[in-house]
Amino acid sequence: MKKSFLVIILLFSITQCFSQTDNITITFNPTLNNKQLVLDTAIYSIDENLTTITNFKFYVSNIELYWDEKLQYQESNSYHLVDINSPSSLNIILNDSKNIKFNIIRFNLGIDSITNVSGAMGGDLDPTNGMYWTWQSGYINFKLEGTNTACPTRKNKFTFHLGGYSSTDNSLQKIWLKTPNTNEIKIKINLDEFFNTIDLKQINSIMIPGKEAVKMSKIVSTLFSINE
Amino acid sequence: MNKINLKILIPVALLLIISAFKLTESSLFYVPKNWPEPAYDFSKNKLSAEKIELGRLLFYDPILSRDSTISCSSCHSQYTAFTHVDHDLSHGIDGKIGTRNSPVIANLAWSKLLMWDGAVNHADVQALAPISNPDEMDETIQHVIEKIQRTGIYSNKFSSAFGDSKVTGERVLKALSQFMMTIVSSNSKYDKVMRNEEGFEFTEQEQRGLVLFRKKCESCHREPLFTTHEFANNGLSVDTTLNDFGRMKVTQNPEDSLKFKIPTLRNIEFSYPYMHDGRFQKLSEVLKHYSHGIQTSPTLAPELKNGIPLTSEERIDIIAFLLTLTDKDFLFNPNYSYKKAE
Repeated sequence: MKKSFLVIILLFSITQCFSQTDNITITFNPTLNNKQLVLDTAIYSIDENLTTITNFKFYVSNIELYWDEKLQYQESNSYHLVDINSPSSLNIILNDSKNIKFNIIRFNLGIDSITNVSGAMGGDLDPTNGMYWTWQSGYINFKLEGTNTACPTRKNKFTFHLGGYSSTDNSLQKIWLKTPNTNEIKIKINLDEFFNTIDLKQINSIMIPGKEAVKMSKIVSTLFSINE
Repeated sequence: MNKINLKILIPVALLLIISAFKLTESSLFYVPKNWPEPAYDFSKNKLSAEKIELGRLLFYDPILSRDSTISCSSCHSQYTAFTHVDHDLSHGIDGKIGTRNSPVIANLAWSKLLMWDGAVNHADVQALAPISNPDEMDETIQHVIEKIQRTGIYSNKFSSAFGDSKVTGERVLKALSQFMMTIVSSNSKYDKVMRNEEGFEFTEQEQRGLVLFRKKCESCHREPLFTTHEFANNGLSVDTTLNDFGRMKVTQNPEDSLKFKIPTLRNIEFSYPYMHDGRFQKLSEVLKHYSHGIQTSPTLAPELKNGIPLTSEERIDIIAFLLTLTDKDFLFNPNYSYKKAE
């Protein structure tokens, strides 16, 4: 009687182990000069300017997996704050995602407008996470701060707080990426591409919703790619 | 016999339980007779006596400000309809003066967008604005959370409201909005007359004022809340020391230039000064403005194109009616008054 009980426990824990490894993990890997990004560390970016990233956070929401056009998986309550300063947030484990056949991952970069007008939330959506505007309601979808020697500002600082949820100001980006059918979806965020695309002499600070924020959000959404 | 009894008893018991729940809920908040449904979604922040109490303690606690000198009530005092009287522009921390006249807190449950320019889209996140404004509380919500957690005074309050003593942004904000949602003014003489309560009727002058009001003012200050919750340009000249263009700052749409939220007129007797910049001290000045002070501009409310011509007798009658919107039960409601966390 006792033995069989132990066997059951053993079997149960084995299946638990397996089912955990079976769940799909998404890993975000931000890079600068083709190396893994380290905050507060000066590095020559590909544009040959000395760059330091001091703060890099963004929201990933409504994660879905597709096989061609067909929806295979939809994460429930899918809101994640990815903060480079908090390494555990770079990995998102998708619950109940065993044995799913997929070749496309889709997610939102940012927070949808309904959530933006639904009041105070907890967890990753808690307004104390530094990703909520106080003087005008709304989430900051994407935050990138740092210095770059090409930036003609005080102490070479650049500040991008991208957000805005209402009609023409909606800066939410839908990202579709083709991906191999693996248990670990590795997503690269290529910041070199950012410094290649943007002229910091022209634009180095966005902190309100509007046309500029929408335009910049479109640019930052292209930094995401699958790392095969 | 037993079975039959049970068949009757169970539904009766269930009914009793349900009605008991309804009773407790309605004692915390109810929609006054003939009022529209509130805009606030109470299903996402279910009212409880403990949460309201916590919100009330926080509302009156200067811990929300950088140097613990300013609480919400500094600019929203109950006895003056939850606004800041005597000052055209409200002042906050270090005696700094803001750019606007603090609005009244009353019947916010029916209001979707908050602030004079609608910059705040939900009552839950309203408190974030004054907390972080450098002229008001000059604090961060992150630091407020730390301070509340550290004092320990609140741990019992958070436990009874939320099940454990953890202080989070969501909890602080939701408790504050629960308290604010329960601040309802619906017991003025006007309300009692409208409900045909015995012993309450308008004087002849008040009645004349009501008739005029419905003809001239109602399109923006719609009964029973005395606002449409919309934004409008009411023809005030631009104060060049402020250059406040109102809603346009939020929407970045030139069509919203000089538009401000239409305020409720409830308890207007006590909520002076008037307008977003507090430029008028007296109701007579307000009515003179509408009568012959309107400044024309492209976004002016169409109703005001030719002003609202009123004789001095008519203005006095309208004021007499407006004074019937004073709600003493609200102004002195002990459930809204100062309470200290201990």
